[in-house]
Amino acid sequence: MIEFSHVSKVYKGVKALDDVSFTVGAGSVTGFLGPNGAGKSTAMRILVGLSRPTSGSATVLGRPYTELDCPGSQVGTLLDAGAQHPGRTGREILTLGVMMLGLPVSRVDEVLDLVGLTGRESRRTVGGYSLGMRQRLGIGHALLGRPKALILDEPANGLDPQGIQWMRELLRGFSGSGCSVLLSSHLLHEVEQVADHVVMIGRGRVLIQGTVDELRRGRSLEQTFLELTANADRSTA
Amino acid sequence: MTNTDVPGTKSDMNDTTTDDARTVGSKTADIHRPPAPIPFHRLLSVEARKLFDTRSSKIMTVVLIILVLASITGRGVVSGPKLHTLIGTAGIGFGTLLPVLGILTVTAEWSHRTALTTFALEPRRRRVLAAKCLAPLITAVVASLFAVLVAVPVTAVTAAVQDVPATWEISPLALLGWTGTNVLVVATGLAVGMLLLNAPAAIVICLSTPILWAVVGKLGATGEVLTEWFDLNTTATPLTAGDMTGGDAARLAVSTIFWIVVPMTAGVVRVTRKEVS
Repeated sequence: MIEFSHVSKVYKGVKALDDVSFTVGAGSVTGFLGPNGAGKSTAMRILVGLSRPTSGSATVLGRPYTELDCPGSQVGTLLDAGAQHPGRTGREILTLGVMMLGLPVSRVDEVLDLVGLTGRESRRTVGGYSLGMRQRLGIGHALLGRPKALILDEPANGLDPQGIQWMRELLRGFSGSGCSVLLSSHLLHEVEQVADHVVMIGRGRVLIQGTVDELRRGRSLEQTFLELTANADRSTA
Repeated sequence: MTNTDVPGTKSDMNDTTTDDARTVGSKTADIHRPPAPIPFHRLLSVEARKLFDTRSSKIMTVVLIILVLASITGRGVVSGPKLHTLIGTAGIGFGTLLPVLGILTVTAEWSHRTALTTFALEPRRRRVLAAKCLAPLITAVVASLFAVLVAVPVTAVTAAVQDVPATWEISPLALLGWTGTNVLVVATGLAVGMLLLNAPAAIVICLSTPILWAVVGKLGATGEVLTEWFDLNTTATPLTAGDMTGGDAARLAVSTIFWIVVPMTAGVVRVTRKEVS
């Protein structure tokens, strides 16, 4: 369970988030959709306690993230696949995660296997990784502690179509066992392929939310998305 | 193989049904136990490992080791087999490289934005910072010990080669004081780095202050007093020599508060409150 309850965030006089409320239920993959700068990353950082909301609150597994005991072993997060020290190898980054969470070192190889990085790739420094490889590494890092909830910011960015297919299978299996997944994207077709629920935001406000099928209502999700974001822009302009 | 199998069979005997339900798709799911907060020693070993696991930090460690070996051997050849002098020689390299190590340790999370990962895994940021500071401080002690370990055989060999008697005298207090000075040097780097959260700026400040003090010290009586109380290099000299007086201690305390306590406190507050992005 992931829950946003009336979360607002004011940044230097600008409302980055405005009364955001939604829930990601157990077993759901919810796509957090919106144009660049809509507030998706801000919301996710607030969710994991890296940023403080101006008002409102967010919880994961029923508690504020920062109050969870060893949150990394209950909630998997990937906030920016590019945010890694370029001089560290992929294997080393996972090893540090495993040490922090107190897991057996064998978990590193299990996860590398799971995300499809070879032993050779894992021994290269991340500075030489493609964006797709960094995403796989980041998703692997999020999965280290066998979490019950996943928070992924733009995880499909840089993945090729096979990669997106792989991620869909992975996340379906994950939500099938009762876990909650919240993933953001600014690309509609990515979300459509992976998620069962969608929350659309624009200019910091939730524009519409529901299941992918509900939101389609006989027309393409893209139409709805473009109309709503255009309206949001007009109303704040 | 046996490692992962043993706990599996054990829990199978205990509660077969629940375990079956959980192990679907994952062989080792039974390692799931109620999560406990991350103990400090784990944070410390992670931060200690981070000091030496990147390409640049590996290069720096090798440079540090070579510098210690080369400077002590070189000094031995030139100045003769005097243990105290040889150990002190390593301090010259330490004075430059150790503050940089401290600075890079506390600024790396921000320059590479790995703070996103670190503080998501451990939201209690002060504990992370404590581990981050303790690891390089311990390194300073280890580096000092290493210099002693190198200086002893170099003294013996130099004495044998030059066929002169070796001078082994060194007061334990001076040795302790010298190690303490190296620790203070790292702490300065940590404090300035944490305050600025910007490696280039912190490195420039730490490495240019000795030059700055050399100038200030020549600016008449006021400059002399300032240097006497605020230049950590000057105030730590009695500590290194192992003959501190009460006045020396007061001056060392004032400069330590100015260069370490104040910036570090401000830095901790800054990092704790900072929005990570």
